Amino acid sequence: MADQDFLMLGSWIAASLRSATPLLIVMLGETLTQRTGVINLGVEGEMLMGACAGFAVAAATGSPLTGLFAGAIAGMMLSTVHAGLVLAAKANQIGSGLAVWMIGLGLTSYFGRTFVGGQVSPFLPLGSYLPNAPLFIRAILDQITATAPAALALAVIAGFWLYRTRTGLNWRTVGESAEVARALGIRPVRVRLQAILVGGLFAGLGGAILSVDYTQTWAQDITKGKGLVAVGLVIVARWNPFLVIPTALLFGLSETSVLKLQAGGVAISPSLLATVPYFFAILVVVFAQAQGRRSAAMPADLTAIFRTR
Amino acid sequence: MSPDRSRGIASILASILPTLIMAVVFILVAMAFFMSIGKPPLSTLTDMVKFAVGDTYSLSETLVKTAPILLCALATIVPARLGLVSVGADGQLFVGALFGTAVVLAFRNAPGAILLPAMLLAGMAGGALWGFVPGLLRGRLDANETIITLLLNYVGALLVNALVFGPWKDPSNLGWPATISFPAAAMLPGFFGTRAHLGLVFGVLAAVGFGMLFAKSRWGRELAILKGNAKVGRMIGLSFPREAMLVMSLGGALGGLAGICEVAAIQGRLQPGISVGYGLTGFLVAWLSGHNAFVAIMVSFLIGGLAAAGDSLQLFAKVPAASATILQGLLFATALAVGGLSQRWRASRG
Amino acid sequence: MVDTTVSASVTRPSPLVAMVGVTKRFGAIAANEQVDLEVFPGEVLALLGENGAGKSTLMHLLYGLYAPDDGHISVDGKEVHFASPRDAMAAGIGMVFQQFSLLPNLSVLENLLVAWPAAPWWQGRARSIMSEVLVWLRKLAPNLDPARRVSDLAVGERQVVELAKVLNLDPRIVILDEPTSVLTPDETARLHGFVRNLAVAGKAVIFITHKIGDVTACADRVAVMRHGRLVEQGVSSSKSSDQIVSAMVGQTVLNRVGPAAPVSPVPRLQIFKLSTSPNDSNCPVDALTLTVGSGEVVGVAGVIGNGQTALAEAIAGLMPVLTGEITLDGASLACLGNGLPPPTRALAYVPERPIDNAVVADLDVATNLDLRLLQAQPFFSANLDRAGRAAALISDYDVRPRNPDLAAGSLSGGNLQKLVIARELSGSPNLVVACYPTMGLDLIAADAVRQRMFEHAARGSAVLWISEDLDDLLQYAHRIAVLFNGRLMGIVARDGASRDRIGRLMAGIGDEPRVA
Repeated sequence: MADQDFLMLGSWIAASLRSATPLLIVMLGETLTQRTGVINLGVEGEMLMGACAGFAVAAATGSPLTGLFAGAIAGMMLSTVHAGLVLAAKANQIGSGLAVWMIGLGLTSYFGRTFVGGQVSPFLPLGSYLPNAPLFIRAILDQITATAPAALALAVIAGFWLYRTRTGLNWRTVGESAEVARALGIRPVRVRLQAILVGGLFAGLGGAILSVDYTQTWAQDITKGKGLVAVGLVIVARWNPFLVIPTALLFGLSETSVLKLQAGGVAISPSLLATVPYFFAILVVVFAQAQGRRSAAMPADLTAIFRTR
Repeated sequence: MSPDRSRGIASILASILPTLIMAVVFILVAMAFFMSIGKPPLSTLTDMVKFAVGDTYSLSETLVKTAPILLCALATIVPARLGLVSVGADGQLFVGALFGTAVVLAFRNAPGAILLPAMLLAGMAGGALWGFVPGLLRGRLDANETIITLLLNYVGALLVNALVFGPWKDPSNLGWPATISFPAAAMLPGFFGTRAHLGLVFGVLAAVGFGMLFAKSRWGRELAILKGNAKVGRMIGLSFPREAMLVMSLGGALGGLAGICEVAAIQGRLQPGISVGYGLTGFLVAWLSGHNAFVAIMVSFLIGGLAAAGDSLQLFAKVPAASATILQGLLFATALAVGGLSQRWRASRG
Repeated sequence: MVDTTVSASVTRPSPLVAMVGVTKRFGAIAANEQVDLEVFPGEVLALLGENGAGKSTLMHLLYGLYAPDDGHISVDGKEVHFASPRDAMAAGIGMVFQQFSLLPNLSVLENLLVAWPAAPWWQGRARSIMSEVLVWLRKLAPNLDPARRVSDLAVGERQVVELAKVLNLDPRIVILDEPTSVLTPDETARLHGFVRNLAVAGKAVIFITHKIGDVTACADRVAVMRHGRLVEQGVSSSKSSDQIVSAMVGQTVLNRVGPAAPVSPVPRLQIFKLSTSPNDSNCPVDALTLTVGSGEVVGVAGVIGNGQTALAEAIAGLMPVLTGEITLDGASLACLGNGLPPPTRALAYVPERPIDNAVVADLDVATNLDLRLLQAQPFFSANLDRAGRAAALISDYDVRPRNPDLAAGSLSGGNLQKLVIARELSGSPNLVVACYPTMGLDLIAADAVRQRMFEHAARGSAVLWISEDLDDLLQYAHRIAVLFNGRLMGIVARDGASRDRIGRLMAGIGDEPRVA
């Protein structure tokens, strides 16, 4: 393969990885949440909170890492609303998630207006740490930061935790049947609370990475439905943290192709191209649900929410 | 007072108590919010009421908002009768506006008597299509309609963008992405010189019509059966897929109608941003109305007032526009909290 | 009460569990009333009673799911107050429920692990500690692969896993709630063997059942409950079956009459080489051929999950037919292309698990009773005397509470079954397909349901009766068809029937498949 081809392939891989990273982390959080039998559409709002707070703090302190931290906390704070509504008031989960989304959208539109057009100092690309790496590797590493491998590592750790530890098994049990879990001495409400908060933490982190690391900007509704896409793609990944990686990467690839097509001067309206990732998400969600209807991998307590027949 | 009568009054009080509590809690929450952004709570609240219904102009602006909100609420309520959770009114709104605009652009010189109804019907058809797709996917493939309708919202808005930035852009607009202004024949007139328009009448008629259908007709009962247990419905010859496609298309048509009315009555042309979250607001109204079409008329009016007041607050009291969204979110959360807690309380006593 | 010890020891050990004056009320109903019960180590106590007698409630009290309103429970002589099953488990009590509390989406190993108190935090499969959790499973079912998902297991296998789960906690008292209702005769015998072994190992075993066969096979003592009270106790060998049954029912057993055999039945339901699609989670039907004639009651026996559901749903037009035919009086009953059954009022269908398959739980009783008449009503209809029809059916079929406006889901299992029977059997169907119609009903109600079915047979309907109760079928059905893995293993006429023969067919052994 010629050097040019290497560079282009590396560029595609890196771009897909970068695009996938925020989504991957949000998906991971929602996977863990749904594994305990709770669905949280509010991750869209929590992701926005993370993006806004993360950007604001990163711009103010000059440290992108602090920004990520702040974003994660902001997301987690908003998720307490969902936890309160769903666990304490036993409210409908879909409604509660949408309410949380509304609040997050409103709050970030409100407080975020001062940050539009702001600047953050970005993370260093990984390539700068390994100047002597071979060309192909360099081509990728020059375009990604530490957030990408960190996200991949997080997914792998989450997978091992979910499938090979006692607490992971307890969480899965709660998602299968809160009743049986209670009979076994597990506290379903406490587990679900932890799961919702972790989901919020991850959603906020994902949002912060989106604004601080990926786009390095803030604009109103910067996530444009990525959180909702994440909720859908969790189904495609079969609620399996390991499968979150390829699913997010595929979505990242679809976004990258759109961007590359635009940059390549293809005469299609950018708005039209921008619909492609959404169609992709819809298609895989439909395909996954049609496929998996009989071989249910869905946590059993979740089926009531999804109302599958 | 006879014991029967006092029991009757007590039960009426009991049924509206949660709503009263919710209203009180929401007012407190709203005041807390105003304080947190540095505005005087009580006077801001009274300003909002004034801006909502204080004079004829305010009232008409409220009605302007009520129309699309009511139609979008119905776009959620109709599918909800079958148990489907559709949040797709925004997308249906955009695609309806798109289809209606297409007709106007194609036949811009046609007389009003033909153009206007054709435009409205096209709008409904576009919205119906945008509702039909998730309905089909849910009916035949059991794919979750909530997520699909949510994602299709973004697609709908993007499609409108693509057209108004592209082939439909009016060159005389100097860079502003929008179509040509609609010819007078295609404009929905307002009432009594205000901006309140026919869309409101459509909404009320649709609400009453569907409300009666759901309450009184055999179709309403069939939907209730399928919603409760689709398998049993099948046993007596009812088809969940068929009804899913039907209710989603009907809901979508109403959403599409909202879209084309907004364009034809208020905006005057197709451009980005014809919806300020009417779809999500409609979802909220549907929820607050208990998915009851009749109640939705009243609740749409209240929320319409909230939205209109929000706009006026932005103009006159320098309260940022996003506060209306925050208030709606807080209202939604309050309703969910009070509803959920009162159910828990009732269950523990019963 | 005369008390002769069965064990070899001379002195009686003190009771492991003593329940004294235990009372439990749910609203106005007393589920348990002043019950005194003792259980000793090393014995099997059969707790007998018909459905609704209060035996499950009593054991739920022992297991800590509820607290008694009156009276107390002692373990090892010390009074105990269980706030939850955790406390009961800590006191050494284990319970195997009728509805297994296994998680179908998880593997056997994971189900055992989550219930194991000594489970380590890190559960890498290669760790040696993991084999400890499998000890009991290997003893009970050495060939069962622990990596299999529970949803793939047959009912008998699931029960073994459930038992292993409980035994992993090393309980001194093991309670089994109606364990034999879902087993083949062979599996039942094997279970009886396990139970005896547990007693020999020193455990106290409480065996809840409504079948006399369980008592004679493995119980040392028997306690009979009726209407919440303990009415009879004693050594099982000193009681006759009739004594026990009359204690259960409270009166001498009715001389139950079955349907008269039709002289030469005209075939009405004809199933020819029926096969259903295997991609459902239920076991599909496999090339089944069967005929039911006018006035005939044909029973379908077999372990639950061997194709009965697919067969019933195929006949009812709810499951698509892959190959073959189903006709009633010549008209096809097969599911139409759009997934709907062909419109016909000639069929009465009583499905299994009525709460899931036969009623709309959120809607009121009157609507549920009217379900079959819905399509015939005009588009804008008034009530059309729905209330009147509902009231008549409710009183005829003894559905309680007698309130047509209640949500169907609030009815008890037995009354729900009566509702469905009322709806389906009150007309004049040409074919009656009944799936486990007497499950969960007490003896009197079950008898009433059977009589309704036989009345229809006497009218000339064809009756296909799927049942889990072999004794019922042996007593009443004209012929018994046995299903295994969706195939018809054989058809046995009432005269030539024996439990052994049918048991072998149920387990997949035996006769060549015969055409009806």
